[in-house]
Amino acid sequence: MALFRTKEIIAASKLPPEGVKLSRMIDAVYFLPIAYLGVFATFHMHFDLLAGDWDFWVDWKDRQFWVTVTPIVEVMYPGAIMYYFWTFYRQPFGATLSISGLVVGKWITVLFAWYWWANFPANFVMPATMISSALILDATLLLTRSWMLTAIFGVWAFAMVFNPTQYAIFGYSHQPVVVDGQLMSLADYMGFTFVRTGTPEYIRIIEVGSLRTFGGHTVWISAFFSAFISMLMFTIWWQIGHFVGQAFFWVKGRRGVMSRMNDVMIVGTDEFALRHGTPDGIAPGHRVTTKTAATSLS
Amino acid sequence: MNVKNIFKLCVIGSLGMATLGLTLAFNVSTAAAHGERSQEPFLRMRTAQWYDTRWNPQKTNINEEAMLSGKIHISEDWPRAVVKPNRTFINVGSPSSVFTRLSSKVNGVPMMTSGPMEIGGDYEYVIKLRGRLPGHHHIHPMLAVNGAGPIAGPGGWMDITGNYKDFTNPIKLLVGGTADTETAGLAAGLFWHVVWGSLGFFWIGWFMVRPMFLIRARVLAQEGGDELLNDPVDRYFAFAMLGVVFALIAIGFFYTDSQYPYTIPLQAGEPKIKSTHLKSDLTVKVLAADYDVPGRALRMTLQVTNSGEQPLRIGEFTTAGIRFLNKVGVANNNDPSYPAEIMAQDGLHIEDESPIMPGETKEVKLDSRDSLWEIQRLMDLVHDPDQRFGGLVMSWDETGNRHINSIAGNIIPVFTRATAG
Repeated sequence: MALFRTKEIIAASKLPPEGVKLSRMIDAVYFLPIAYLGVFATFHMHFDLLAGDWDFWVDWKDRQFWVTVTPIVEVMYPGAIMYYFWTFYRQPFGATLSISGLVVGKWITVLFAWYWWANFPANFVMPATMISSALILDATLLLTRSWMLTAIFGVWAFAMVFNPTQYAIFGYSHQPVVVDGQLMSLADYMGFTFVRTGTPEYIRIIEVGSLRTFGGHTVWISAFFSAFISMLMFTIWWQIGHFVGQAFFWVKGRRGVMSRMNDVMIVGTDEFALRHGTPDGIAPGHRVTTKTAATSLS
Repeated sequence: MNVKNIFKLCVIGSLGMATLGLTLAFNVSTAAAHGERSQEPFLRMRTAQWYDTRWNPQKTNINEEAMLSGKIHISEDWPRAVVKPNRTFINVGSPSSVFTRLSSKVNGVPMMTSGPMEIGGDYEYVIKLRGRLPGHHHIHPMLAVNGAGPIAGPGGWMDITGNYKDFTNPIKLLVGGTADTETAGLAAGLFWHVVWGSLGFFWIGWFMVRPMFLIRARVLAQEGGDELLNDPVDRYFAFAMLGVVFALIAIGFFYTDSQYPYTIPLQAGEPKIKSTHLKSDLTVKVLAADYDVPGRALRMTLQVTNSGEQPLRIGEFTTAGIRFLNKVGVANNNDPSYPAEIMAQDGLHIEDESPIMPGETKEVKLDSRDSLWEIQRLMDLVHDPDQRFGGLVMSWDETGNRHINSIAGNIIPVFTRATAG
């Protein structure tokens, strides 16, 4: 017994064997060079512009802003990408694809920009990873098959597990040290010891604000706040995905009326030619009588 | 593609090759400064007035310590166009972290974080460094002012010899043991990135091994397609993945917590540093000043009063980290290690060189004249939005005590020889 329903799905697609082969080639070309590289390049730029410094430097990774800002910014792109992959293909890897792509981009930056070019050690510029959060988000969408439930439960978990996940990577940097009689965390000291000409200490946006109560458990207050804003952001970006990812096009009918076509698969079919003519004016070979599955994919 | 298009492409290609060839033909040298000359003169002359800057020693081995020290006077004539120094940070201007900074003290107080400075205040800074990257480096002290940006002090050359591979930067932990800032936490960080990355790619790979896009889109467009694509094995896999993710997060968190039981949050306090003030028996008032553009000279008419008990002689005018000296200044304040490119040893001229006697008030015509005004781009003063100058006048009494006055005033540009007077 086969592990997957692949055979049934291929059969249901009604594609001939050469069509199936071609579709796999399209998968390869479309997925890696176009979807993956495109997403990680644009998402990386988007992320660096909105939350870059918190991710670049170990002495920016505080209990308030880092914990708040990072999940909010990292949930945006996955929202739109998840819409696209889920709505058109029922593929539940939009978040993991986006965020693993982002992490690949971050590591390219760490190695080439920070380590090789600017000579900072990799531990000082180690990025955070939200792949754990992305996996939770994708799995939630797959299991609930609802973007609303994903926004409520998946995104909540997405933000809440951020800090515990990062603690395994950055916990060491909170060890206390004393320099010239001043108490500092190791992260503060690393920020101090590695000279950054263009990044003076006051640039840090850390530990400022009112997200403090419940006996100093600042990080959880920040995580809750971040989770709520992330839910909102996910919803907005899911809708942005819906807006920009709709598969429709406008065609001019025989009587000159413009109409919106929601089924992109109809292009090139006999029915399309019958309705709208063909560029070379050649009539289709046979008349289509059955209505095609022109359901909206959007 | 016709012949015309081919010809066009050939011409464009040839031009590109020629450009590349010319680039290689030119002597391409390394850029080694930090753009300090591009900062506007009013910013450099009337904010932080740097003096007594030392780069010591100028040759260091990897892991050896060096010192960057000096004094800053925060000008009383701080420009309106520049945000006031309510939050400042003494920094080092260097091409990357060629040194690590071990300690930074301002007026004896550690300045690890940023804090306010007082207009009119005087501050002595001592920055302890450790050689990290070999090379010939241009190092500046720098005062970063929140809202105004970095204000570069004078730049001097420091050499670091040795091999970077030998560099270590150990720091003693409060709870015992040491950490090397070059490698601390690196292994754990890489480990967890590999773990999460592998898991992420495994998740994507789970769906990549099957038809991904076209086939699924066609099936989804059909009635019942959604149900067909909802493969039960994927649901089991998702449940398993959730379990693994939560388990790994918990393991990572609690293991790290057991490794580092004593932790503190990032520290964001600010140092409270008391300023000192310049001491001088001389009182200096700027009566008039002009900038002679063709003569590359700042000509000042000062009213000076000696309220001390010893005669005083003016020996130095320093502004924007650039020093203009006369014989008195050279005799009393000549630092051979100060970079020659920002010091004019015969750059200060006084019409009446007689000393200012105790109790005497007189008018002094002081010219600081040198090509440095142009080389260091201070002549751009004429393009500033705030036509004033500032600097420190240094004078010495007979026992060699230095008296420093911060001066500032309006400045009138003199554009041509005919009007140069």
